[in-house]
Amino acid sequence: MEDEYEILENTVRDFNTKYIDSNALRFENENISEQLMKALSDQGFLSMTVQPDGKKGTDMSAYSIILETLAKSSPSVAVKTLLTNSFLSLVENREIIEAVSSGMKSGTVTFSDILAVRASTGKIVMENGKVTGTKEFVVGSDSNFILTTVDSGELVLIKSGFRIGKNYKKLGFRSIGFSSIEVDSDDFEVVAKEGKENLFKEYDQIAIPVSAIAIGMGEAASEKAIEYSKVRMAFGHYLKDFQPLTFEMTSLVAEMNMLKKFMRDILSSTPDLKSAMFLKMKALRFAKDMAKTSLQIHGGYGYLEDFGIEKFYRDSMALSILFSNEEEDMERLSGFVFGSKAGFV
Amino acid sequence: MDFELDEDAKQAMVKAQEFVKNYFTEELAAKSDAKEEFPWDLVNASRKEKIIDFSSPWKVLVTIEELCRKDPGLGISVTISAFGAEIFMLFGNDYQKEKYMNPVLGGKATMGLGVTEAGGGSDVANIKTEARRDGDNFILNGGKMFISNGQISDYFLVLARTSPPPSPDKKHRGLSVFVVESKLPGFKSNKLHGKLGVRATNTAELIFDNVKVPKENLVGEEGKGFYYIMTFFNISRIYVAAQGLGIAQGALDRLINYSREMGKVNGDGEIIEELQVAIAEIATRLEAARNLTYKAASFLFKFNPNPVITSMAKYYAAETAVYATQKALEMTSLAGITSDLERFYRDAKILEIWEGASEIEKLIITRMILKEQRGN
Repeated sequence: MEDEYEILENTVRDFNTKYIDSNALRFENENISEQLMKALSDQGFLSMTVQPDGKKGTDMSAYSIILETLAKSSPSVAVKTLLTNSFLSLVENREIIEAVSSGMKSGTVTFSDILAVRASTGKIVMENGKVTGTKEFVVGSDSNFILTTVDSGELVLIKSGFRIGKNYKKLGFRSIGFSSIEVDSDDFEVVAKEGKENLFKEYDQIAIPVSAIAIGMGEAASEKAIEYSKVRMAFGHYLKDFQPLTFEMTSLVAEMNMLKKFMRDILSSTPDLKSAMFLKMKALRFAKDMAKTSLQIHGGYGYLEDFGIEKFYRDSMALSILFSNEEEDMERLSGFVFGSKAGFV
Repeated sequence: MDFELDEDAKQAMVKAQEFVKNYFTEELAAKSDAKEEFPWDLVNASRKEKIIDFSSPWKVLVTIEELCRKDPGLGISVTISAFGAEIFMLFGNDYQKEKYMNPVLGGKATMGLGVTEAGGGSDVANIKTEARRDGDNFILNGGKMFISNGQISDYFLVLARTSPPPSPDKKHRGLSVFVVESKLPGFKSNKLHGKLGVRATNTAELIFDNVKVPKENLVGEEGKGFYYIMTFFNISRIYVAAQGLGIAQGALDRLINYSREMGKVNGDGEIIEELQVAIAEIATRLEAARNLTYKAASFLFKFNPNPVITSMAKYYAAETAVYATQKALEMTSLAGITSDLERFYRDAKILEIWEGASEIEKLIITRMILKEQRGN
């Protein structure tokens, strides 16, 4: 890793220690405080996709390091950072960019139209200077601004005139809103005419950031399990001395190191979509496998939130559902692999 | 070889299905989960309707399966009130059966089993809780961890050390089982909050601070506690396997329903291949787990327990529950994560941990197989 990125990683670690670790449970279950949003902003973590002059552009290596490291302490904070940056990468309104990147206001992007291929995501109609209707499965629905597609295809920025509808039970990221939204607003602007295409581009853009969060979660779970295995005894031996546990953990750590190396390799030049999607597919699976194994190693204690393991079990699954359409991704990847449309009968 | 349940068990299954239809509302399940609240009204209703019929272990087994199929947290809460009562049945005296076992079997009291300790986990022989003889009493000191019904039980069966082990490799000797009433001075319990799943169930830490237990509350013979607990685990593991069957079946039900709905959405009624494969894989594992569990139960209920098959059943049914809930959730995606399936996913994981972690079950299987081969 280059020096500047190593310094960045240490900076984020220090940030975690100072702002997150002692409040991690609250940030996972209740809410992410205004102070924390302000602190994230002060570090520049909320404006990774937008330059000070308003131009779009991301140092993807730096962005990935930030998300990966934040996810180690709090997957929810990492996801909130991701949503904020995705929002900013699509919005042009300078006033709103300033408000959101400063942490004073919040914004989100609704990926549900891409994620829910078969399930209905509701209808929002734009006519007579108003947008009205319902959008389902909105992650970050407690935000001040919502970017979403309307039925006629445009991507619109809704600035007010919406409210939280049906609240969904949440498996993961419990401090971030997840609900439908009901919209009746004349306070909106069209961000792009080709809304779905723009949304899809952003969905592809977040393949590496989502992978970084998954890898960070997996790494944190592995560190906790390894430390626990060194101090916890059973049948007169440390857990680390039992082959079934240590071999499984070692195998997963090998997988993690390969994923990290692969991610750094992809980021060393302009990332190509195929590699980014391969990375995401494997990173999301790895995060779930690692969380499961780490929880098992912790036994009953892993089942309790105080030990900070069970959240990885919930959040790794939530990440794979709320930020990835596995079937769609597999069909596209199969197309890359087979050289033509594949995975359809 | 007969793969059919008898009529009594089939009727118990139907009765359980009726019960969940009437009482297991999504509102109650969600509330109990969110607030970590034991569903007393539901448990009292189940007692009134005699949902758990202890006269037939097959009835108990299929009832557990059906209740967990609808909701694991509520299902386990309903079926766990008499947890450990088999120890009274097998090793208790008439006085203990009358005073402690009959009330729980009759739905008039709740009991729990105190074996696991903070530093012990699956390493039962290594427990630190001590019972020192003091005239006509035993004085208990120590603590227990992750105890089901820990805060709501009227009494517990507690494993404690009554004499030092004869050697470091014989720690399983010198352990005894006592009935400890929760109203006794020096007894305290602290509810454990923030569980990943089965949040409707009550789990607590128990503390014994010079708790004076009358010698009449010693169950069976002094020093044979480890054997009693292991015998009980050979029973309880089959019921844990039944929990796993119920959870896996519940996940499969939900995946099939989703697939049918999606088939309709597609317009042609066809279920996409990926979903078909997932259904087949879960259904096959579930069938294998059910056959193992029923085989283990069949041995046990004929008073001829087979620890190898029992451990296979417990480990495999637990793994199947985790696999089925994970797969079903992945397949149903946004629809699943916003339904009760996410609760099934959280609930299932504990089955690989409690009543002997999967790793322990695997060691038991191999050791017993090797022992059998040596015997032959």
